[in-house]
Amino acid sequence: MKSVLKLIRRFVGIMLLSSALLIILNFILLFLYTVSQLPNSQPWQTAQEVADNLFQNDNGYVLPEDITFELKKNDTWAIFIDNATMRVVWRTDNLPETVPMSYSISDIAHLTRGYIDGYPTFTGEAENGLVVLGYPKDSFWKHMWPSWDYSLIANLPKTILSVLVINIALIFIIYIIANSRLLKSVKPIVGGIQSLPTEETIHIKEKGLLSELAQNINKTSEILQSQRKQLRKRETARANWIAGVSHDIRTPLSMVMGYASQLESDNGLSEDDRKKAAVIVKQSRRMRNLINDLNLASKLEYNMQPINPARQNLVAVVRQVVVDFINMDIDDKHPIAWETDEALTVCLADIDKDLIKRAVSNLIQNCMNHNEQGCHIFVRVTTGENNCLIIVDDDGAGATDEQIERLNHSPHYMLCDENTSMQRHGLGLLIVKQIVAAHGGTTGIGHSSYGGFSVKLALPMQE
Amino acid sequence: MNPDYLKQKRILLVDDEQELLDMVVSILQKDGFQNIKTAKTAAKAIAISETYQPEFAILDVMLPDDTGFNLIKRLKSTFDYPVLFLTARGEDDDKFRGFGLGADDYMVKPFLPKELLFRINAILRRSYKDENPLVKLPGCEIDFDRAEVIKNGKHISLTAKEHNILAALYRNAGRIVTIDALCEAAWGDNPFGYENSLMAHIRRIREKIEANPSSPVALITIKGLGYKLMVEGK
Repeated sequence: MKSVLKLIRRFVGIMLLSSALLIILNFILLFLYTVSQLPNSQPWQTAQEVADNLFQNDNGYVLPEDITFELKKNDTWAIFIDNATMRVVWRTDNLPETVPMSYSISDIAHLTRGYIDGYPTFTGEAENGLVVLGYPKDSFWKHMWPSWDYSLIANLPKTILSVLVINIALIFIIYIIANSRLLKSVKPIVGGIQSLPTEETIHIKEKGLLSELAQNINKTSEILQSQRKQLRKRETARANWIAGVSHDIRTPLSMVMGYASQLESDNGLSEDDRKKAAVIVKQSRRMRNLINDLNLASKLEYNMQPINPARQNLVAVVRQVVVDFINMDIDDKHPIAWETDEALTVCLADIDKDLIKRAVSNLIQNCMNHNEQGCHIFVRVTTGENNCLIIVDDDGAGATDEQIERLNHSPHYMLCDENTSMQRHGLGLLIVKQIVAAHGGTTGIGHSSYGGFSVKLALPMQE
Repeated sequence: MNPDYLKQKRILLVDDEQELLDMVVSILQKDGFQNIKTAKTAAKAIAISETYQPEFAILDVMLPDDTGFNLIKRLKSTFDYPVLFLTARGEDDDKFRGFGLGADDYMVKPFLPKELLFRINAILRRSYKDENPLVKLPGCEIDFDRAEVIKNGKHISLTAKEHNILAALYRNAGRIVTIDALCEAAWGDNPFGYENSLMAHIRRIREKIEANPSSPVALITIKGLGYKLMVEGK
């Protein structure tokens, strides 16, 4: 379940990334907000500024106009408490009446830490006393009580980091637990989808979060199975039909072939009549080959032909085919030359002997069919790189480059669902290709160095 | 060897098509066979078998009252003569079944008369060789039973391997037998690397059967492919 692991990795990655991004974003926002709040957060400095600028002349204490203006603008009042008398010796005009005019030491401590009559107060130290600024009620929340253990502050970065790590771990665990159910539901679904292209029947439990999806996959599998069954049924019917027709045609053809053959060798007949009989024999042989080819091609195409591979010496197999042709002595217009190097006595391959014999027979028969006026046929077994090669050449009419290209690359009409008129070549080569492909080999069609047609079969060699 | 005695064999021909029976009879008669009976059903084939006592049968697989496979079983349970299947059923399974039931050969229709006759003669030669053990070659005779060559009145013994090689050649007299098939006859299944030994045996056989072993006329080499045994009358 590679894809499920990938999915989990992707989910966790996204989650961790988004958490980290969220934390960074929060820090940025906090920083920006704090910066924007800075002007209001400096009342202590303002108080100290007032203290520093308050000077004494002959008429008493005076604050420069601009600072007075600023204070008024912010609706802030100020008083100056003299050190010696502990009384207010200077004040701004906007001082509320409820603010006392004399203070004890405990009052000073109280106002420094908190409020005077609800006004948040801030102090600035002057030469002979203390400046106190009073801001409008509810403008500041003063919290002057807390104090921390030194080690707590010293370890703060470490603490923050630990908390962050614990948080992330917690989020991760929560995420895994929360998603395990989802992943548990996803796993069989993914497995089911992956198995759909195979020919097995799929049944996923229709439970859990993704039960609807599971239902649909099961349904799809059922449809696919039924389609495969239908297709197989149709293919079997087609192959059986071809097998049936070829069976039924064999007995009548036997009689045509048998009697024509007798007439061909009947010395009582005229030369002309015997020639006609010879044509009938020849054509009925073609029909017999066609029936055999059609049957085998359809079986190979629909995987109904059993292939029983066994280790065989290809040199011996091909030699037997050549000898069978020579022994049949069909005609003397197509002499077959055995061109295998005498030093090569063994070339082992795992093959179905009968099928490979059939393929080589088809190639030799092809040379004969396409060169009715006669030609030399050259058969050779040789070795290539990890391959046994069977090469059948002739010095006959051959084919054009275009025809060879088509034979090598165009599908046969039996396998083609369009434009069948373009694909009409015999079944012989199709069967050769099918047989060789079923053995994991390749078929190459080309020009022969002898001037005619050449077919090279490459089959995997065994040690 | 005089092969005429084989033409006297009683042959039973079973097929449901009268025209085919007629044609095969005419092919056989033309080749010299005289004693032929035909049957269109399995029942009639059994009846003829009991009265006529055939020495060879050609059977179709599809018969109106039974299959040729059942027929051969019934025939083989009582009689022991060679059988050739001549049928339109060309599937491998059918062939294996036919051979498994004791058939000597299996031919799929349509067929060339020449091929049918070759196969019938090969079966008869193989099955009834004891009746005429002397095989006549251009320069000598071979007695397979005694594993001897009789040349110029002298009896020359054949070794087991030479006998097997000659027997394989004789079964296919007049036709090429591949090097591989001869090696198989002498050394068993899938023999590799015996080509040189085979050549040595062929040389020795020639010394025994040929008048002039350096220019053989009875055992002929077909270069690269195999050997051919020329038998008189073939």
